[in-house]
Amino acid sequence: MADYILRRLIYMLITLFAVASILFLMFRMLPGDATLQVISPAMDEAVQQRMKAAFGLDKPLLQQYFIYLKNLVTMEWGRSFVTAQEVTAIVSYRFWNTLLLMVSGLCMTLTLGIGLGIIMAWKRNSPLDIGGTVVGLIFQAAPPFITGLLLLMTLSYRLGLFPTGGMYPAGARPDSIFGLLLMPAFWERIVLPTFTVGMYYLATPLLVMRDSMLEVLGSDYIELARAKGLKSSVIMFRHAARNALLGVVTLASILVGFAVGGQVVVESLFSWPGMGQLMVESAASHDYPVAQGTFLMLAILVIGLNFITDILYSYLDPRIKVSAEGISR
Amino acid sequence: MSNNRVLRVKNLNVRYQTQQGPVHAVNDVSFDVFQDEVFGIAGESGCGKSTLIRALMRLLPDSAEVTANEITLSGQNLESMPERRFREEVLWSKMSLVPQSAMNSLNPVYRVGNQIMEAIQAHSSKTNAQARERTAHLFDIVGLQPDLMDNYPHEFSGGMRQRAMIAMSLALDPGLIIMDEPTTGLDVLVQERILRRIREIREEISSSIILITHDIAVIAEMSDRIAVMYGGYFMEQATAIDLFETPSHPYTLGLKNAFPSIRRKGQELISIPGSPPTLIGECKGCPFWERCPFSVEHCSNETPAIEKLAQYHEVRCFRHKDTPQLRELASKKGTWLSLD
Repeated sequence: MADYILRRLIYMLITLFAVASILFLMFRMLPGDATLQVISPAMDEAVQQRMKAAFGLDKPLLQQYFIYLKNLVTMEWGRSFVTAQEVTAIVSYRFWNTLLLMVSGLCMTLTLGIGLGIIMAWKRNSPLDIGGTVVGLIFQAAPPFITGLLLLMTLSYRLGLFPTGGMYPAGARPDSIFGLLLMPAFWERIVLPTFTVGMYYLATPLLVMRDSMLEVLGSDYIELARAKGLKSSVIMFRHAARNALLGVVTLASILVGFAVGGQVVVESLFSWPGMGQLMVESAASHDYPVAQGTFLMLAILVIGLNFITDILYSYLDPRIKVSAEGISR
Repeated sequence: MSNNRVLRVKNLNVRYQTQQGPVHAVNDVSFDVFQDEVFGIAGESGCGKSTLIRALMRLLPDSAEVTANEITLSGQNLESMPERRFREEVLWSKMSLVPQSAMNSLNPVYRVGNQIMEAIQAHSSKTNAQARERTAHLFDIVGLQPDLMDNYPHEFSGGMRQRAMIAMSLALDPGLIIMDEPTTGLDVLVQERILRRIREIREEISSSIILITHDIAVIAEMSDRIAVMYGGYFMEQATAIDLFETPSHPYTLGLKNAFPSIRRKGQELISIPGSPPTLIGECKGCPFWERCPFSVEHCSNETPAIEKLAQYHEVRCFRHKDTPQLRELASKKGTWLSLD
């Protein structure tokens, strides 16, 4: 098992390295000169040269690349062109906000999808089964900004049930993440964005769980479990759902990647001060160091969550551990 | 063979509703299983043998309609028993199963021993330690190392899984063990070892066994009494000796021809032309009449009744009085070829 985790960790580092390299190239290949934001062409030629040298931009590309990698590891990610704040400070604050919303959205998608999928398969062709499929597909077909807008319009503006956006009331910024979690106002505000992303991605785990449940329910070990005289609830959860879950866990790691896309839309819509919103803002204001930091941080988040699902999968399926020990599956 | 009856089934019928019409999977099947005996049910694939045992264990889907005049297990009427009581008091504790595909009948994500312990604990108040001890003992009985208990099914070979399934079936000392093709899919050597183990276990336990297989050799070797099933009907039922010495149904005669025998070396095997009926729609007449070289006019529109030839010998054929003559004719290849 330790061997397996170590191997996964190494894969994770290689992936991160690849992402960082692609980002380095991408920002240098963008049309237009990124440095124009800081080094104005109206300045004296000599001043421009000196500023370029100060940023290390006069060095050859390969050397810049190694400096870039070194700075990444030592957490010197530069300063914002707009606010001159440290990028790491901006991004790390936003990171937790995004993580909170993303995890709560994924939790909703997965628990609702898995739970409902189990019951729908167990009661195949019942009104619940058909209704669940329809609702899941409607929310998947509707873009999240439409769902979110409709929710804001009805529940927030018309009925006044939920605040219209943000993470906490203006002027009540908590000093730590724990302070935030203790605020009822925070929980009030996370409901709508969570519901919006949660429902948007619901159909995928729901239908996958339902399908793999149906497949498992037709298998020989389920018939044997029935012959053993076990209770239906034991057969449904301990025997069937436990196996059907394997398909959904694989899916979860893919879903994490997709969730970033929904995150950008939902954070902008609900003024959630997370990385999705930051990504949009920094790109619009040509704040390249911040944009680069945000991209990198999002990549770390997705790769990290993927790593967790991989570990979870090997815990759920005993056959995986064996293949990690070198015996074929 | 004692006269203590463990299972009595009378006039069991199973119908499926399908889009092509009703399927008559099991028709008017009656039999008894006595204590300590192995009752074999032989038949080709699709003849209804698996449906029959699934009906007994109530494992059929809702689309199947099961009717019977009597199903009694150890004196208990199973037919009118409510679902919950059947599950708690009958399944596995009085009637257990060695399934057809041992390969896939163990849940891949749980340790083999735990799956046996689960069966024990579902029907008794044994503690984990007691159930574990019992499981280790069961492993020992079927010839598996008790320390393999903590392995996962994928770490077992086919033969080992089959042994584990047999161990599981013995877990609660049931009065009746149903073995559905217990050796299909195993190679001959493993098959022989499993069969030998089953015979040894029979000496030690008092369970009766229903053995279902399409393999005539296996059934001849293992069973005290044998029923030959075709098209959902029991065509012939007799003690193993009677069935092979004085087979009386044309289908049994055909089956005997199709299997090699050591005694009749060099003899050509004769197969029965044609294929079994689909069982869809209202079936009239004997299901075998189209393939039967001895069929007479009313075979096609009237179902023959069961005729008793000896104490344990029953046959479902209009021509049961002509059997010596039919036996003679059936051993000639031309008799069967005339049908083509």
